[in-house]
Amino acid sequence: MKIISLQSENPSEVLNESLEILQKGGLVIFPSDTVYGLLVDATNELAVKKLIQFKNRPWGKPISVFVSGFDMLNKQVITDHRQTQILEELLPGPFTVILESHHLVSLLLESEKGTLGVRIPLYPLIEKLVNQFGKPITATSANLSGRSSHYSVQTLLKELPESKKKLIDLIVDAGKLPRNKPSTIVDLTADKLKIIRQGDVLFLDKKTYFSHSPEQTKKIARFILQKIVGNKKLEKPLIFIIKGELGVGKTIFVKGMGEFLGIPDIISPTFVVYYEYASIHRFIDTFVHVDLYNVQDPEEFKHLRLEKYLEKGNAVCFEWGEKAGEIMNKLKDKGRIIYVEMKYVNEKEREIKIRY
Amino acid sequence: MLFVIQMKILAIDTSADETAVAVTEGRKVLSNALFSQISTHTKWGGIYPALAKRAHEERIDWVVSEALRKLETRNSKLETNSKSQIKKKKNNLAIEQFNNEAMNHIDYIAVTQGPGLAVALEVGIRKAKELAQKYNKKLISVNHLEGHIYSSFVQNSKGNPKREYKFPYLTLVISGGHTEIVLWKDHLKYEILGETLDDAAGEALDKAAKMLGLGYPGGPVIERLAKEVENKDFYQFPRPMLKSKTLEFSFSGLKTAFYYYLLKTDSVFPLRSSTESVSEGRQTDPVEPERHKKTGSVEIHLRELASSFQIAVFETLIKKTEMAIIQTKVNRLVVGGGVIANLHLRKLFKELVVGYKGDIYFPPYKYLTGDNAAMIGVAGSYKAQESKFVTDPLKLDRIPRLRLS
Repeated sequence: MKIISLQSENPSEVLNESLEILQKGGLVIFPSDTVYGLLVDATNELAVKKLIQFKNRPWGKPISVFVSGFDMLNKQVITDHRQTQILEELLPGPFTVILESHHLVSLLLESEKGTLGVRIPLYPLIEKLVNQFGKPITATSANLSGRSSHYSVQTLLKELPESKKKLIDLIVDAGKLPRNKPSTIVDLTADKLKIIRQGDVLFLDKKTYFSHSPEQTKKIARFILQKIVGNKKLEKPLIFIIKGELGVGKTIFVKGMGEFLGIPDIISPTFVVYYEYASIHRFIDTFVHVDLYNVQDPEEFKHLRLEKYLEKGNAVCFEWGEKAGEIMNKLKDKGRIIYVEMKYVNEKEREIKIRY
Repeated sequence: MLFVIQMKILAIDTSADETAVAVTEGRKVLSNALFSQISTHTKWGGIYPALAKRAHEERIDWVVSEALRKLETRNSKLETNSKSQIKKKKNNLAIEQFNNEAMNHIDYIAVTQGPGLAVALEVGIRKAKELAQKYNKKLISVNHLEGHIYSSFVQNSKGNPKREYKFPYLTLVISGGHTEIVLWKDHLKYEILGETLDDAAGEALDKAAKMLGLGYPGGPVIERLAKEVENKDFYQFPRPMLKSKTLEFSFSGLKTAFYYYLLKTDSVFPLRSSTESVSEGRQTDPVEPERHKKTGSVEIHLRELASSFQIAVFETLIKKTEMAIIQTKVNRLVVGGGVIANLHLRKLFKELVVGYKGDIYFPPYKYLTGDNAAMIGVAGSYKAQESKFVTDPLKLDRIPRLRLS
């Protein structure tokens, strides 16, 4: 068992070592956008057996796989138009989707019905790894069956008996992972979408999410921004119009977006109308958080000189956006509008609708 | 104490909706001029953005002249004929000439660099740069929060009150835009111990007032209503963040709990018609809003609700301060910002420090609780003593989320 620590300067070294082990049918413990995962070549029967032995996983219980993108996904599973539409909303993201398999991976990974769980994670290192590997890789959490998931390598190793440790070929230690729940598992094989396991990001349909806590609201915001930003340069500024009653969590939503952009100190801008932040994300330069709570007259809006921010590479969030009514047309010309509508379901639960 | 020759500072603050200019000398305020964009009875609650930038631009010259004119009335060295000239003609040339003379008596220019509204800060900074260049004065940049921290030590022109510094202090800045606990170790040396993660305390009070249909701005109205029921707690709304051991604040959970209580009891004021509520709040007696028509005959315990919300906010402030006293073992408090104009909050703070055998300072004059330039000038004087001037005035830029350091 070898442990390498993932640093900012050694990702390619980590990738190469991991690839080599996977090719030999070895077992790698690897960080992800959720918890630490157990990676083996999904097409290698022996490697998969080793994985099942490691996990004490009852035979016949399916294990999902990472694919690098939609091309690989479509090779592995069967999708129709409706399913593709839903997939495009969810992936990449913290979701595992269950679809009918083309049976190209080890059958031990599939369910009795011949379905397979697939994930496209929002984690560049895994994306690269699977891409270079050219085949699906198993995506199961690095814990023994029935035990809870791990966010650090230390707690994982503590749990493992020596006999299990021997089965591990390589551990990639990325330190403590943020406490994101394991992925939400969604079954798309039936007519009606079914949620098998609830992770952090919950949704009613592909555009409506549910949150039960400020932390969840932040994660939903983060996920949505991540999806919208994508991985190529933005051609237009992003304009978020966030509507909702007082106390529903609009600022919390913006704080979640801020976390994705490396801005840890977002606070309510009500008093000063807007705050401007520098983002560390490569495709977003300036992040502007506007609260139109005190703006009573659209005429006043002009004087905020917000137009100067409506340039590509910037993201501007408007809380209480309906007051922006008159300038909405101007905004539409200049940027890409994303509507976020937040509602109270009850005191503890919020519905978050996204349209763009 | 070492004798320090005090320099005269012309200070400018345009961080929010007050266009403020003052002339200070050490801790003394020689003149203070302010143009407020909201009615004078409130010094916190939020900005009207249309007014903010435009009004700052329109008023800044006038406020600068006003501060200099007030200075002149107590400065015999200035020629009296320029004063009469200004009164008679009020033409631009006369003002210009007068300002030129008055500026001879100024040593430095201080200006607020942040935190605040970007477009508003820009106006003050531009003016400060212009004056510094035109009259060849050194420029001092001041953090607005630093100003609030020093506000309890600002003196009138006669040098009163004579408060001595006894560092370290635990300092709170509580306003419509800020809620921070800061360890004030020595002049210009600060450590932020805790701050709000979402809304400022004053903002929470303002939003509660709005939910009750009391109009904007609501803090002073809430204070009055609460007083009428002796500041008692009737509904025990949650005290946010008290379970957490950190000194961070969060008021969004309280806001939600309050909103939900109003919703459940059918006493929520229609939030969508915010424009309406503003004008109602201003024109009619805000204590008896017209909302009974809208919510039927449900009796709403306005005073009890206002008082209970206020006490939830205040108790959070007090308990966190108590935690800070225990953690730092510093029992001397300095509290500034618009919310400390509230007399009940002052009483609670006084009771707290008595329990820890400490003492407490508030801003000695009411204008010092709100935004003003006098506190910027006084904070600036300590920077001047340490020769902390802006090295390249042309490059001075506003920092809307400037932090204390």
